[in-house]
Amino acid sequence: MKEAILPQELQTIYLTILIVLLPFAAFILNFLFLNKSKASGWVSTIAILISSIFSIFVFTAIWNGPVIHVQTIWFTIGDSQVHAGLLLNNLSVLMLALVPLVALPVHIYSTAYMKDDAGYGRYFRYLSFFCFSMLALVVVDNLVLFYAFWELVGFASYLLIGFWFDRPAAVQANKKAFIMNRIGDIGLLTAIIIIYTLFGTFDLEKLFGAEGFVTRYSYIENGTWSFYLNHVLHVPVSRGWTVMAPHTVTQIPAIWQYVAFGGIFLGVAAKSAQFPLHTWLPDAMEGPTSVSALIHAATMVAAGVFLLGRVYPMFNTTELNILAAVGCFTAFMAATIALTQTDLKRILAYSTISQLGYMVMAMGIGAYASSLFHLVTHAFFKCLLFLCAGIVIHQIKHVKEDNHLDIDPQDLANMGGLRKKLPVTFVATLIAGLALIGLPLTSGYLSKEGILVQAFEWAELKGGAFMLIPVFASITSWLTAFYVARMILKVFYGDMNLSKLYPNITIHIGDGGWRYQLPLIMLALCSLFPLFSLNPLAHSGWLTGGLPQYGQYTAGLVELMVPVIINVGSIAMLYYAYMAYIKQRDKVAAQPSLLHRISFNEWYIDAFYQRVIVRAVMTFSKALYWFDLKVIDGLVNLFERIARCIAGAAAWFDKYIVDGLLHLAAALVAYIGGIARRFQNGKVQYYLFSMLLAVIVVFILKILIWNS
Amino acid sequence: MITLTDFMVVSAVLFCTGLFIIVSKKNAIQILIGIELMLNAAILNLVAFGKYDRVNNSGQIFALFAIILAAATTAVALAIILNVYKQYKTINPDQIKDLKD
Repeated sequence: MKEAILPQELQTIYLTILIVLLPFAAFILNFLFLNKSKASGWVSTIAILISSIFSIFVFTAIWNGPVIHVQTIWFTIGDSQVHAGLLLNNLSVLMLALVPLVALPVHIYSTAYMKDDAGYGRYFRYLSFFCFSMLALVVVDNLVLFYAFWELVGFASYLLIGFWFDRPAAVQANKKAFIMNRIGDIGLLTAIIIIYTLFGTFDLEKLFGAEGFVTRYSYIENGTWSFYLNHVLHVPVSRGWTVMAPHTVTQIPAIWQYVAFGGIFLGVAAKSAQFPLHTWLPDAMEGPTSVSALIHAATMVAAGVFLLGRVYPMFNTTELNILAAVGCFTAFMAATIALTQTDLKRILAYSTISQLGYMVMAMGIGAYASSLFHLVTHAFFKCLLFLCAGIVIHQIKHVKEDNHLDIDPQDLANMGGLRKKLPVTFVATLIAGLALIGLPLTSGYLSKEGILVQAFEWAELKGGAFMLIPVFASITSWLTAFYVARMILKVFYGDMNLSKLYPNITIHIGDGGWRYQLPLIMLALCSLFPLFSLNPLAHSGWLTGGLPQYGQYTAGLVELMVPVIINVGSIAMLYYAYMAYIKQRDKVAAQPSLLHRISFNEWYIDAFYQRVIVRAVMTFSKALYWFDLKVIDGLVNLFERIARCIAGAAAWFDKYIVDGLLHLAAALVAYIGGIARRFQNGKVQYYLFSMLLAVIVVFILKILIWNS
Repeated sequence: MITLTDFMVVSAVLFCTGLFIIVSKKNAIQILIGIELMLNAAILNLVAFGKYDRVNNSGQIFALFAIILAAATTAVALAIILNVYKQYKTINPDQIKDLKD
């Protein structure tokens, strides 16, 4: 932290706070005043527009410039102070600029896309809330706040997945997303606690900065993870000597380092939909398509990769290899699944998982800059793809509603031939699709080839089985080409399948107004190469120059050959797909073969979770319920019964012994009284007779006792 | 010769007869007669014991007073019986139970 803050830095800080708080202000405004109003959409949009303008200012001020880190004491527990503050370095301002720039087109698009929805106000409330959480997530400087906003973006995602909460599928999906994210959150929390235990601070800059504790002052040796810190006494140099106080060493067993990594990995896997926690993302497509574009393609799912970027210095070689392997496996698996899906949004969801796998793999192989570069380019073109898909689905839905058909508007089988009806959407999809494949002239080429080249170089250095990773990454790239081609061909080429199935329906559909087209054009321009690199055949951009490089590479033949081979393969796949779907020369995977079944059923992972984990949890819950019902309740009932028995005995004792004694006394008195009252029968003669008897008795007694 | 004992026996017989009449008869007038008999037994005793008194004939004088008192009480008793009869339309003492309240 700097001693004094320069005026222009102060301005940057204020702008940053404004960027973060504007969407929050929009959220509050919409929440309090504009519940039903159509103005809520524009309030949110204007907030994000101003945020994006400011974010560009902040970006230009910070990028490759001084790192700004300001903080203030947030709270103190005992002797440990926890600070809250802003950390603006290249990584955070990159995300800070990316999020509003992607969110802005989505907001504009949503004002048109959601205009007929009953939950219009609610939608923009949630969207603004998400933007606030996401922007705050990227600028905060400590792990506690990071965790808080990490949870908040997850919560916003939960709200938006279940936006149409009257649909059971949406409710199931958001529950699933929430539970899977909880698993990740537990992991992240564990890692944060472990890091705090060793280093005693949550500060990201102190921990992971260039001179950070993790980076410079910790090491693993002999099964312990040690952290040492020299206390340099600041003695004036004129004295000619400095005093090094004996350094303090904190140690914990090395296993905790791996546990912390495992926790962070879980967090990343849940948020960025990596194997084995990826199954929530395809289901999350139950939310509105514009939400899928922003949250489940461009920004929130990238938060996991961003977290990797934040804590990167912590990982050792083994852990990086694990990341690379898992990322590569996820990318490959998701790509194979995307080949056969029939739901338009599910294809895109799996392609998102696949691309996120690329990013995680890139992190693992040390291609730090390329990974984040891919994150940025992917955000634009995947967001664009989703928005296009949204238009297509929207139009099919119109046809469905106009003609009262019973069809699934997201099913590829109901599309086809839309090229002429939706020209702008078609062009935009084509650009985004080519970027996703990674063909030259697109942004996707720049970032993806960077990753692949570095993957090959990395594997060359390591040798052996590590070669599998770049090979599978290349195969994934070709698979990507195929499924993108399949999707575009099925949606936009050929004949309109609906008019074949239902010959007498009326179809009048179009691209929609400027609020649909403007976002598409904006994002399409961002998906082309000039924004990122003036050289369309480079495999890096100016972005990568501003981010640290961790790998050591020898520029060689690989650099030239890899892009050529990959692209030739991709083009071959495109041609093959074209032949298969348009010319009908070959029926690709039309037969339900084993591979087709595996792919179509998403590798049976979800089914496996459902059968094994969910069922196990349910069984366990049922067992617990049984235990609760029979044992706990049984004990309680037993106690109740015992108490009732004791109470019964007490009641009996009370009734028969205590009351009985009283009644006996009363009865005795009554009996004696009864005897006595017999003398008082009111008859004169009887009284006389009694008196006589008494006198006689007295006399008899006198004679018997006293005279004897 | 007639001894004190003979007087006493006659007196006791009279007394017991009177007592029996009082406790057993179902007519108030008869009970009154029994009371008179007992009174007479007492007076007879009074006269018989008078012989042994140091002052002569004081027993007989006392008996005279007692007879007069008995007459007076009998008059009062008859008046009571008359009123009882007016009240209850009977003079059977068994049916007059209001004394117990």
